[in-house]
Amino acid sequence: MAVDAATLFATHQHRLFKYFCRAVGPETARDLTQDVFLRVSRATIPVAAEEEVRAWLFQIARNLALDHHRVRLRRPEPSPLAEEGSRLATQDVDLAVNEALAALPDLDRDVFLMREVVGLGYHEIGRACGLTPDAVRSRIHRARLQLRQRLASPIATRRTIPMRHSGRQT
Amino acid sequence: MSDSQEVISAFLDDEPFDAKALALALGEPDGRDVLLDLVALRHLVRMEGKDIAAPSDRKPWRTSVRAVVAAAAVLVALVGGFLIGQRRSESARSAAPPATRVVQAPAAWKDVPSGRMP
Repeated sequence: MAVDAATLFATHQHRLFKYFCRAVGPETARDLTQDVFLRVSRATIPVAAEEEVRAWLFQIARNLALDHHRVRLRRPEPSPLAEEGSRLATQDVDLAVNEALAALPDLDRDVFLMREVVGLGYHEIGRACGLTPDAVRSRIHRARLQLRQRLASPIATRRTIPMRHSGRQT
Repeated sequence: MSDSQEVISAFLDDEPFDAKALALALGEPDGRDVLLDLVALRHLVRMEGKDIAAPSDRKPWRTSVRAVVAAAAVLVALVGGFLIGQRRSESARSAAPPATRVVQAPAAWKDVPSGRMP
C-alpha cells in the first residue's frame, strides 16, 4: 500500500519520539524525530505492507540514533546528574533507566526499545536491524536481564505498586 | 540466567511460545521472579513517554495562543491609535486656539531691491 510522508509522520511521530527519548535522551529526541521525516521526505517510501514500512522507518531512526551516539562519543557532553541538585524521584528513576539503557550494546538496546517502547513485533524488529526473529528474541531477553540487574532497586520498588500486564504497545 | 527463560520474554511480548517450556520456566521460583521483574521493568521503561509530550502535542497549541495574543495586541493598538487620532483632529477642526502673543510690526517698512543692502 502506498503511503505518503505526511501520513507516515502523523502515524508514527509519537512512537519515534518515545524511541528517541530512551535511545538518545529527551533533549535530542525532538530534533531526531524531525530528521527522520526529513530523510523520509527525500527518500522513496517502499510500497509494502504496513509492518515493512514501519520496519523501514525505524531502520532510519536507528541509523540516526547510532550517528548521534558516534558524535557524542567524539564530543562527550557533561552528565545531567551534575547539573541539577534537586530532582523528583520519578526523574531519578528515569535517569537511571536511561543510564542503564546507555550501558547496553547498541544493537541490544535498539531491539529492546523497538519492542518495549515502540511496540514492534520480532519480525519487524528483525527487518529493521537485519536479524532473524530468533536472534531478536535472544537479544531482547539478554537486554532485559542486564537491565534487571542494573535497575534492581527501582524494579523492586515498582513491584510493590499494582501492575498491569500489557503485551503489545499500541 | 539461562536460555530457557527466553520463553518468558516471548510470552511477555505476545510472540509465539512453547507452552511446555513456559510451564517449566515458571515452575521455578527464579522463573516467576524474572517474570514479575520484567513486567516491572516494562512499566519503568514506558514511564517516560507518558511524561513527555510529542512535538506536535504541545507546539501548535502554544504557537496558536501566541499568535492570537499578538494579533489581539496589534488590533487594540490600531483601534486605539485610530480613535485617539480622530478625537484630536475633531478638536483641532472645531476651534482654533487663542493667540498667546500678538506681535506688532514696526510702522516704517521699506521695500528694497533684492540682493542689495540699503
